[in-house]
Amino acid sequence: MHISEGVMSAPVLITGAALAAAGISVGLKKMDSDKIPEVAVLSSVFFVASLIHVPIGPSSVHLIINGINGLLLGWLCFPSILVALTLQAILFQFGGITVLGVNTVNMALPGVICYYLFGRLVSRERRIVSLVAAFSCGFFAVLFSGILVALSLVFTEESFMPVAKLIVLAHMPVMIIEGIITLFCVAFLKRVKPELLGGIYGKGS
Amino acid sequence: MEKVRRIQISLLILFVASLFVISIDLPALAHKVTIFAWVEGDTIFTESKFSGGKRAINAQILVFDSQGKQLLEGETDRKGEFSFKIPRITDLRIVLNAAMGHKAEWTIPESEIKQAIGAAENKGAPGSSQPIAVSLNKEEIKKLIEDSLDRKLRPIVRMMAESQSKGPSVTEIIGGIGYIFGLMGVALYFMSRGKKKNRENCND
Repeated sequence: MHISEGVMSAPVLITGAALAAAGISVGLKKMDSDKIPEVAVLSSVFFVASLIHVPIGPSSVHLIINGINGLLLGWLCFPSILVALTLQAILFQFGGITVLGVNTVNMALPGVICYYLFGRLVSRERRIVSLVAAFSCGFFAVLFSGILVALSLVFTEESFMPVAKLIVLAHMPVMIIEGIITLFCVAFLKRVKPELLGGIYGKGS
Repeated sequence: MEKVRRIQISLLILFVASLFVISIDLPALAHKVTIFAWVEGDTIFTESKFSGGKRAINAQILVFDSQGKQLLEGETDRKGEFSFKIPRITDLRIVLNAAMGHKAEWTIPESEIKQAIGAAENKGAPGSSQPIAVSLNKEEIKKLIEDSLDRKLRPIVRMMAESQSKGPSVTEIIGGIGYIFGLMGVALYFMSRGKKKNRENCND
């Protein structure tokens, strides 16, 4: 899902960087010292998740974990994912420094969207509702990421629909796996630390 | 107390996650595409794969000369390989365009192509098929050595290309996690300093 360097044209890169900067500034504004350890941990989780390779599918796909990131952090997943992507670019040569903005938006924005779509549902009392919402959160975050990647590739020579189809199909197994991972995380957190899930709403920040 | 527990749980999750990662076969993981090209006689061979070692099938290959003019275009076969005759003696830039935003390139310098063509022509020359003891001037010996060196070194060059596409090592992963926690420390430090100042101001 990381777009390599030299694929995209300058306008796309600049737009991506601007959007990422906006998201990060919103995230940083909402960050307080209680939240920092959580951001760091989820950043690390994102950082290592890309190394978990899913052998099914026609291409090289890996876990993304932006659903959980978005669900637990909200807008804070922008800084969290930026840090992880920067380190991945430097240490593993995944993606690259110039495409950092676009990649950050592609991964973090779906997280934020899923936070608004499913965050409330996940913190519901009823177990079944919250678990279904958790699964959808992991599932749709990857789906949206795929669509965003396809969108950012439109402006190079490739056309949208075939690329989008290809990416979404390739990430089908990842979506399902991430849905299940998110589900288990939520089930675990509900039992051990329910404030983590509803915390952001509770504080009203 | 509340905060401490939260951090403890977070750390526990991280620990379990990293164990999970490390226990999985590491080299077969990453997410990058590479192309490797070499010259043999008058043909250029390329090999493309994702860094997990998976071949890049049906990926587009573009060949450019030193001025950036496109010379030819092709597609990798089922083994991720693609070969073509040398279109022109110049620096060749071979670009691999795998789908979904994956791209890589490899440049073959003009000198390498010239050498390979020279060696191929020499191989075909009648002199080389005669008994060696008869007549070998300096030039011929040099060519023969170069020729066999080329052949012997090829697997090594290939091996180097393979190692280039290895996934990230455990050290790098742990290092990355360390960086993130370092950043967390810095952020917490500055935040707590700000709070202290506020508190002191209140006390005054």
